[in-house]
Amino acid sequence: MAGVVVKGRFPRRRLFRVVTANVFRYLFRGAARNWLRNIGGTAPALSSMTLLLLLSGLVGMIGFALHNLEEAQAGQASLLHVYLRDAAPDADVGALWTRLAKDPRVASVMFTSKDDALRQAQSKPGLPQLAAATDYNPFPASLDVRVKNIGDVAAIDNLVRNDIAVDAADPTSYDQGAYQRIQTVLFGFAVAGFAFLGLLGFVAVTVTMNSIRAAIHSRRDEVTIMQLVGAPRWMVRGPFVVEGAITGALAGATAGLLAFGLAMLGMTQGSATFTQFAPGITVSVAAIAGAMVFAAGLGLGSGSSLLSVRRHLES
Amino acid sequence: MRPILEFTGVTRAYGPRLALDDVHLALKPGELTFLVGPSGAGKTTLLKLINREIRPTRGEVWVDGIAAHTIKASRVSELRRRVGVVFQDYKLLPRLTAKENVALALQVGDLRVSDEQASERATDALEAVGLGDRGSSFPHQLSGGQQQRVALARAVVAQPPLLIADEPTGNLDVDTSWEMMDLFADIAAFGTAVLIATHNVEIVTRLQRRVLTLVEGRLVRDQPAGSTGRMAWLALS
Repeated sequence: MAGVVVKGRFPRRRLFRVVTANVFRYLFRGAARNWLRNIGGTAPALSSMTLLLLLSGLVGMIGFALHNLEEAQAGQASLLHVYLRDAAPDADVGALWTRLAKDPRVASVMFTSKDDALRQAQSKPGLPQLAAATDYNPFPASLDVRVKNIGDVAAIDNLVRNDIAVDAADPTSYDQGAYQRIQTVLFGFAVAGFAFLGLLGFVAVTVTMNSIRAAIHSRRDEVTIMQLVGAPRWMVRGPFVVEGAITGALAGATAGLLAFGLAMLGMTQGSATFTQFAPGITVSVAAIAGAMVFAAGLGLGSGSSLLSVRRHLES
Repeated sequence: MRPILEFTGVTRAYGPRLALDDVHLALKPGELTFLVGPSGAGKTTLLKLINREIRPTRGEVWVDGIAAHTIKASRVSELRRRVGVVFQDYKLLPRLTAKENVALALQVGDLRVSDEQASERATDALEAVGLGDRGSSFPHQLSGGQQQRVALARAVVAQPPLLIADEPTGNLDVDTSWEMMDLFADIAAFGTAVLIATHNVEIVTRLQRRVLTLVEGRLVRDQPAGSTGRMAWLALS
């Protein structure tokens, strides 16, 4: 067909390539080059940020372990063991079981015989020796009562402790105030942990802001020239933000890897004790913690440099 | 013809001191104008107002249809791309070659300019100022006059409608100063409005172009081209 102009797509693609190349050059390549050139000035910020992020990662993992510990304690605290007299007739035990099972505050009732109690005790550290020291089975049979609301455990304890089927000397596992004490301690840990993380964050932001301010100061002439030849604001400010992001990402990556490595070391070195010491800390949890430390580094680095640029770079 | 630059009742105060006081002026395309006056008269303040390095305390500054007195900080770069600037101390980026310095002004203004296009146009601009063979030299490898010519090439490579120069011959010898003035005259001949702040009496009196005289922040004289007498200058110095 004569007279039809066919428009090629090539120029648009080429334009996209040119714009992308220019943005990459002025924003990222320039920032990377300047970051490398200023490595002497950035090193203190990088190392202190790495240390702070590592501490944050470790504090975070300890916090997670404590949270798991609290949940485990809450689970244990809501389980009331009602110890039965050795000579309690089955009818009395059955009556108590029925009474408990009908109580709306109770979620479930399980019977543990003396033999089951012995078997369970033998799986716990230290107790097999105790069990072997006597000729008879010292562990009582029990009704294991799961209470729906942890606040009702005391009331259930009060209900059963004088029952005829219950051991008068050691009626239940209820320890008044034990759970509250654990909660108070954990709350204290949580407050201290958040305060510590806040302090670390503040120090990390201040250190990075200062390093970016020093970079702005050392390149003041260059910045002025860029502004005077009409460079848009993002082109002048962007490289400093990218520099901060590079510092944060490197610090985050190093700290994340170290935190992950330390958690793995703990898991492999003391696999038995570690699960008791830091419950819930697994390989995937450590990996997620490492990734979060990296993301925090990236965010802190770019965020604090953005703040610094806004404060110290005039238009 | 619409003026490229227009000042209407512009006052700029630094505390109680008036650096510029009720200045009115207009520059048309292709006009080469000198801005003279003793030190502290307000020449640099006037140039900074054009480039929106500072804002006026009162009055309006219009540059190629843009209100420089009210423009937002985020849009200042748009204004600056319409104004080529030449400084006494050249202000070249020391890490870049002469050609890269010139190309930078093109690419920061328009990201659609490819490296090849920028390089080509930078080479053309450098050839126009007589430095076609020094494109790969770094600023420290060039003389003061050569650096000033690179700065001039950078200022005009994006073909801005207005070129301002602050003491462009201040660091140059006599011969180089005249070469620079020839280049400014050539640029004006192609339609760019050129405003040069200078102390160089000989250049102002010999070139016989329009002269604006500032004294203590006030525009005391606006002599049209061809009426610049040596005695008029001496009366003010």
